[in-house]
Amino acid sequence: MTRLSIILFFAALLAGCVTPYAIVNPERQTVGDVISVQPGMMWNKLGYSGFEGNVEVWTIDGPQLNTLVFFTGVRDGEPLFTRRTANPEQQEKPPVFRASMNPLEVQELLEATVARFFQTTLAQGRNLNPETVADGQGFRFETRLVGRDEVERVGIFVGTIRNKRLYGAWFQGARLHYFKRYEPEFDRLVKSAKLVGEAAK
Amino acid sequence: VSLTRRQFGCALCGLAPLLLTKGARGQGGSGASFLTPGYRPPAESDEKGLWSMMDREERRFQESRFVVREPALNSYVRDVVCRLGKDYCQDVRVYIVRTPHFNASMAPNGMMQVWTGLLLRCNDEAQLAAIVGHEMGHYLRRHTVERWRDVRDKAAASAVLGLGLTVAGAGSLSVLTDLALTASIFAFNRDQEREADDIGLELMVKAGYTPLGAPEVWEQLLAEAKAGTAERASSFLFATHPEPEERLDALREKTKRDEARTGERGRDRYQASLAGVRKQLVQDELALRQYGRSEVVFERLLAQTPDDGLLWYAKGEVYRLRGGEGDAERAMNAYGTAIETTGAPPETYRSIVLVELKRGERERAQKAFERYLELRPEASDAGGLRMILKQ
Repeated sequence: MTRLSIILFFAALLAGCVTPYAIVNPERQTVGDVISVQPGMMWNKLGYSGFEGNVEVWTIDGPQLNTLVFFTGVRDGEPLFTRRTANPEQQEKPPVFRASMNPLEVQELLEATVARFFQTTLAQGRNLNPETVADGQGFRFETRLVGRDEVERVGIFVGTIRNKRLYGAWFQGARLHYFKRYEPEFDRLVKSAKLVGEAAK
Repeated sequence: VSLTRRQFGCALCGLAPLLLTKGARGQGGSGASFLTPGYRPPAESDEKGLWSMMDREERRFQESRFVVREPALNSYVRDVVCRLGKDYCQDVRVYIVRTPHFNASMAPNGMMQVWTGLLLRCNDEAQLAAIVGHEMGHYLRRHTVERWRDVRDKAAASAVLGLGLTVAGAGSLSVLTDLALTASIFAFNRDQEREADDIGLELMVKAGYTPLGAPEVWEQLLAEAKAGTAERASSFLFATHPEPEERLDALREKTKRDEARTGERGRDRYQASLAGVRKQLVQDELALRQYGRSEVVFERLLAQTPDDGLLWYAKGEVYRLRGGEGDAERAMNAYGTAIETTGAPPETYRSIVLVELKRGERERAQKAFERYLELRPEASDAGGLRMILKQ
């Protein structure tokens, strides 16, 4: 292999690995054409997040420290998200969302999805409660997970099932500082949420 | 490039040294003899570098939240290792790792990992001894050192392959995680596996165990694998252990002799030692949502202990979570048996609430909820259940 071909090989490899970010300004934003929110501060939208599915991922301090995953209408029979991989055929069949699920079952589904995605046995949801979401009936619960990097992360999932689809947002971050600091921003964001476009029909 | 679970799992298949890419060649050759008890690689040898790296990794591992700390269980598994390894007992440190897959591994510095998925699946101590003995075989023959030397030059590529991980918590922050990539590419070869099997059987017989535990374990794993093609593709053990059917045949052949059929099983001791963690192991298995595989596992365990309420609950959970046609009835039947037998967890009633609500039986759901709260007044999901009962 010539030196040039080696350089090109690594350049191509690195190009595929770069995580492009787009600035999200503190003005009303439409997520996945179906959720409208009003951020109170600047966020970053991830172009490559590793999450695969009907999701959009934002972060403030970087994905290792905190992430906000929007669920933009998960259909019956679809997983919440899977891990993007070069060999999807080798992935085990993921657990899927069912339109008939109640909020506790959605919580169980997120636990199982997170356990698989983060390759962990330390993923839990708790304190499920009703919550008004996008001017309608929804729910909220807390999450806790420890990934393979041994960092403890806590979070909140807020969701609603409308027209047999799941819409929601899951904000999670390192328990020390990076979740707590932005929890009020997440709460504001949830309060501002509206379903738009196809989801509003 | 992201790591699949299969690749991660392979990290712990005794292939841990593969990432070490620098070091002097050709020192401290493994030869065909057993490792000497108390062995330490000579200073300045390539193997010494390998050990140092594994020692560092082990120190980090000692703090891991995934290591099961329960003293009684740790002491028990260590006793099994020492009963098999005898003179090597002081050279081996055992770590029980909370991972719901069937695997064990042994690093060249004596760090042994036993995954909880293995503990859930073994019927008795003889089956556990079969796996531990096999790993001891790799260790005594220093197979990992051999493999490391074989692939050392190729391993540099794995460092590059790991660059693409960006997801928080799933990333490649641990050497053990990186090792997965390499381990998936380089498994022990067939001769090494055969040799480890032979040594394992010999250690079992010498320790007084029936060697039949070895073919039994393989048979069980194959049955699990046959429960679903996709599930088999992701099996850690089959990823690194080639030709499972052929190996099963060979193990059956080797244990056919009459004298091999005698020996201890240690069934009661095994079950008693696991008692403190079994519920957790069951819940971790269920979280995988591999319904076909889990059904096979729980049915097989139930065949051994049909009065085990925890296992009936687990079987019910497989059906409830799968949610296919007729699964609600199957789940309710299993929960019913769980309640009639011994050891059903209070969560059985929580699950009954969920199934009864699905069936539109709100009164029954309410009764089950009340029973759940009687048994678990501090239930953290009581609020959530109240919420869905009101809806």
